[in-house]
Amino acid sequence: MQLAINIILSTSIYLLLSLSFSIIYCSSKSLYLSHAIYVTCGAYFCYYFLVTLSLSLVVAVPASIFFVVLLGLFIESNIYKRFRKNLVSSLLQMIASLGIYICLQNFISILWGDNMRSIQLGSIKVGIEVLRGYITQPQIAIIIVCITLFVVVALFKKYNRIGRNINAISSNPVLAEIFGINIDKSILWATGIGSGLAAISGILVAFDTGLTPTMGFNLLLYGMVTMILGGIRSTWGLICGAVLLATLQHLTAYYIDSKWMDAITYFTLIIFLLWKPLGFSGKRLKKVEI
Amino acid sequence: MEYLLHLLILIFIYIILAQSLSLTAGLAGMVSLAQAGFFGIGAYSTAILSINYALPISITLPTSMILCGFIALIVSTIALRTVEDYFIICTLGIQIIIFSIMNNWMSMTNGPLGIPGIPSLTFWGFEFDSKLTFLIFTIVLAFFVFFLLLFFKLSNFGRILKALNEDEIYTQSTGKNVYLAKVLCFTFTAILAAIPGVLYAHYVSYIDPTSFTVDESIFILSIVIIGGVQKLWGIIFASAFLILIPEALRFIGLPNDIAANLRQIIYGLILVVVIMTGEKGILELFQRIKNNSCKQ
Repeated sequence: MQLAINIILSTSIYLLLSLSFSIIYCSSKSLYLSHAIYVTCGAYFCYYFLVTLSLSLVVAVPASIFFVVLLGLFIESNIYKRFRKNLVSSLLQMIASLGIYICLQNFISILWGDNMRSIQLGSIKVGIEVLRGYITQPQIAIIIVCITLFVVVALFKKYNRIGRNINAISSNPVLAEIFGINIDKSILWATGIGSGLAAISGILVAFDTGLTPTMGFNLLLYGMVTMILGGIRSTWGLICGAVLLATLQHLTAYYIDSKWMDAITYFTLIIFLLWKPLGFSGKRLKKVEI
Repeated sequence: MEYLLHLLILIFIYIILAQSLSLTAGLAGMVSLAQAGFFGIGAYSTAILSINYALPISITLPTSMILCGFIALIVSTIALRTVEDYFIICTLGIQIIIFSIMNNWMSMTNGPLGIPGIPSLTFWGFEFDSKLTFLIFTIVLAFFVFFLLLFFKLSNFGRILKALNEDEIYTQSTGKNVYLAKVLCFTFTAILAAIPGVLYAHYVSYIDPTSFTVDESIFILSIVIIGGVQKLWGIIFASAFLILIPEALRFIGLPNDIAANLRQIIYGLILVVVIMTGEKGILELFQRIKNNSCKQ
């Protein structure tokens, strides 16, 4: 039963991460690895507001999300926008985003140190017993928040005008531009939403397990694997991908050894790329071609 | 003096690594993040062979090159079915798999504890135990790799790689086997990456998995990018530059842990600036800054 709880927990985190990553990836068509820093920053800002400044939870969480979104918008409008304007190839864009990630991650390391930190609210409590398994309060919060946000964003992408614009530029940017959709503005919106979601997932993970400066990259990679397993631009695909990844990881940890978890994850990814390169959804991401 | 020689040896080891990667990343335009993995395979295979079976380098070097090539051949036939972004993620996956094998296969690689006591290099009875002789040996190998790559760049095979970098579908339509060329290119890069691995293992005489992480792959890739992707000379300059930065920071008198972070911040920044200004490598960037200041 504990296994099932763990699987549900990981599924919901991967779901949120892959959603936040794919919303930026689909609209801008470049792998911006600096996404990892939004996750880390969300966690560390929250740590700073809660523990160092000892603000209340109601102030600290929105404030940290706000600052991360600000950071995301700043990077997008000052750096990535210029890349796209100069027609820098997407590979170079990815490497540059890696450069940004390295800079900011080391900046965080200097400010807060490399040690593992944790956010504790009150004393440590034993988890609630559910069907012979244990679940702690932060973990319940993770599952509820992730699933709610996932549904909200999925609905937003389907019914809101801005969400539909984002959808349109992900499926065909040239046609979308002809119909009068402002691409830069839509990507900015997508970045805002994506970085906000990333910050939330970072905060949730920080409450559950703790925070280190390199936490973001690992989480981002899991989100990315989920996205590839699930296929691009498909809500159901993402859910399938997250469930598959979480199940595989926890079964590996349970039956073989938790240290082989990463190897199995990427092994699955490679097998999947061979057998079904477009993921569950089978949709192809259209890059701009002239 | 010893310290200077130590730095030079490191620089030349990284020159070989980055130049071999520039064949894939620069000429063929396939960015690979698995370079440190193959570097590690080279180091580990030579360490295990020379400690457990006391084999000389004339056997361990070819063996580890063949092993690297064999693994890269299998891996690349799988990974090269994907393109662009997915290919990078695939190579990242390969890198992480190789790392976790090095970190977790206790009976073979000794896990996170690493392998100590690798004997110093002996070649045809001559022992390269001093730093100077080792440096000369490294430089000879670096030159060998340099000219090999230059030869490749000018050969027919190199031209196919260059063409598929520009336009893959067109190259295919002229009757060239693009897939085979890519696989061979990737394999060849991995084979060359084994050479610095062997050198590194014999030089530091103690290896552990932390020297072959994803970060290391990123570092090697940034040498290639900063050097200017297709320029072999630029890479020589860039690797010297990136390795000497932390040493320069040490002389300023920063504490060690901040200096390590600062070094990464600096090379991250250089990476962003080089790509942002659209220059092909740091040499041209300097040239332009110089030209601008001359005009004023």
